[in-house]
Amino acid sequence: MSYIDVVEKIDIPRPRKHYTEPSFEEVLGLPVAYRREGAGEATVLFHGAGFTRMWLPFYAMLAEKLDFVAPECPGFGETPLPQWVRGFDDLAILYDQLFEQLELSHIHLIGFSMGGWAAAEFASFYPRRLKSLSLITPVGLRLDDDPGVDIFQLSPPEVMDRLFKDKDVMREWLPDGEDFDEGIHMYSEFSAAARLMWAPRYNLKLEHRLQRLTCPTQVIGAEEDRLVPNAMSDKFAVVLPNCRLIRIAGTGHEPLLERPRELAALLTTFIEEATQ
Amino acid sequence: MNKLRFYFFHLMPYPHIPPASEIQSTWVSLSNKYYDPHRGHSLYNEYLDQLAAAEQFGFDAIAVNEHHANFYGTMPSPNIIAAMLVQRTKEIPIGIIGNAIPLHGNPLRVAEEIAMLDVISGGRIISGFVRGIGCEYFNNGIAPADSLERFNEAHDLILKAWTDDGPFTWQGEHFYVPNVNPIPRPIQQPHPPIWIPGQGSLETLQFIAEHKYTYMMVFSPLWFTKMAFDGLREECQRLGYDAPKSMFNACVPTYVAETDEQAHREAKAHLSWVFNTGLKIPDQFFFPPGYMSTKSFRNFIGLLQKGKVKPQVNLTYDEMIADRYIIVGSPETVKNELGYYCDEVGAGGMIGPGSPYGPMPNWMVMKHMQIVSEEVMPEFREADGLPDYQRAEPNSQRSRAELAAVKGKPEETARSRVTGGGARLIEHRLAHVAEVIDPTMEHAQ
Repeated sequence: MSYIDVVEKIDIPRPRKHYTEPSFEEVLGLPVAYRREGAGEATVLFHGAGFTRMWLPFYAMLAEKLDFVAPECPGFGETPLPQWVRGFDDLAILYDQLFEQLELSHIHLIGFSMGGWAAAEFASFYPRRLKSLSLITPVGLRLDDDPGVDIFQLSPPEVMDRLFKDKDVMREWLPDGEDFDEGIHMYSEFSAAARLMWAPRYNLKLEHRLQRLTCPTQVIGAEEDRLVPNAMSDKFAVVLPNCRLIRIAGTGHEPLLERPRELAALLTTFIEEATQ
Repeated sequence: MNKLRFYFFHLMPYPHIPPASEIQSTWVSLSNKYYDPHRGHSLYNEYLDQLAAAEQFGFDAIAVNEHHANFYGTMPSPNIIAAMLVQRTKEIPIGIIGNAIPLHGNPLRVAEEIAMLDVISGGRIISGFVRGIGCEYFNNGIAPADSLERFNEAHDLILKAWTDDGPFTWQGEHFYVPNVNPIPRPIQQPHPPIWIPGQGSLETLQFIAEHKYTYMMVFSPLWFTKMAFDGLREECQRLGYDAPKSMFNACVPTYVAETDEQAHREAKAHLSWVFNTGLKIPDQFFFPPGYMSTKSFRNFIGLLQKGKVKPQVNLTYDEMIADRYIIVGSPETVKNELGYYCDEVGAGGMIGPGSPYGPMPNWMVMKHMQIVSEEVMPEFREADGLPDYQRAEPNSQRSRAELAAVKGKPEETARSRVTGGGARLIEHRLAHVAEVIDPTMEHAQ
């Protein structure tokens, strides 16, 4: 057909800053992209619904003291989205297999935002694998009073605005509006997020299942989060056994980008304490 | 056969909302507090009257569709509207174009309802299937990323339910039905005609070509309609057949009045409302993540960026005319335009001429219908002026006598054992006749 520019394969664009070549591990037939640096306690981070394909300054800070691993979720970054990934339970099984293959038998797990939900699901299925669990501005539980803003009803600029308290930091991390391929890639990643989270926006079973955890846990909220209500981290702190709740002052939903040094220090200390 | 068919289409808008400049969207987020059910009562009935009147004016079919949580088209359940039209009309085909089949928990419900309508109407139903636009996915728990898969599976389930003898089990990825056995079955065999509305995506055209369905191109500039029709024709040829003209319908808002000037004067505000207010939809509502495949999304954004298409909400009236999203003019002007669609673009039917638009007052709709039926339609019809369906045999018998004459006695009929009848099964229609129950009575006399 003449009017449609038929593309068989869409190449994944590389962000202008902080891009690094990932490693790939074939897991259940899926090439999973991941980045791994540093030495120390094995620590894995599940990312949120964006800012993929990069070795973030925050990651480098964690890798100073830890064996730090950041896999890319199916449908994000350079990990393709296979037909069989339809929910967080599929992710939990995928990650368990990935950790087996990477010989990460016992880990400290960190999950941010959507990745916080994924981390909570993983923890509920494989609690014995965890030495500690840290959730940063997570989602995934039901808030009875006010579920908060529907992220899928926001335009991309509105999402950006709500992610950041510090608008200078926001401008630093804004994708290039003129970059056609990056825009398409963002739609593609958001589609993967919607496949996991469209309905419902919570898993009621987590409240029951997370009781199985025995490792130290912490929830790190952001005082000025305008994307996810603070009630979410409050509730996680109630649901998770052995949990401490910290709320970083003066930051929005994205403390990884707004307060990398402070957040990395919090996590490293927590992991050190949990290891003793 | 006539050169061109004319389909009367209603969206049933609720136009008493703030102007476009004062709202974010006419869909999803505009509160239903603006819906006054008493005005709705009046509007629904006015719209039903208009649809029913189309039969008297000689249209080829009347058609309705499904949308949710918006003021542009207020038929969340189009089959309910179709049921009323079945009762208000006698012979005219009724199109539901279409049911948004991915949105149903069990698509078998659609198979059942369409079959009911087809049986009650005597085989007058045209069954359209759509995915629903992106906005539709905000008011239910179905992920837009599952929309296409659910559409395909729901379609396969409905078709099998209509064409295979039940019961059978449906074991799908999205739907599981232990016992598929819909009663009634549709009158039209193997199933009611199927229309697929769309905006030219390659996936849609391939689907239509593969199943030999009827295409309906929705609200597009002329060049785009032409390309999509050419594309569909190519797809059909690739599959080894020549697409008949009846496969191609174009939905082009059209308004006809006494002169060109008068037509523009009357139509401008209402046609503009349809595009600029009725379709005021932010991108994130129109394309929720996953509603389009990344490939289709890339193609579409590419067309937008090259300036080949413009968001409908931003179209000025002059652009709509220039790019021929709409047709407005005197009977002569419109006949020429429709002649072009018919001869050059290859359309077999038009959805638009004679139809109402947005807040258009009732008197104007009726005037429009009259002018189209008396001064435009005859140009494209055979000498008798009839729509094609009136020249064909009806799909079902019109009276008990005709049914009895044509079909005779039913192959199977209700029979039971009755008191005094011994071991024999007695037909219920005769079960009150003593001589039938006990044949010895006759001889005893």
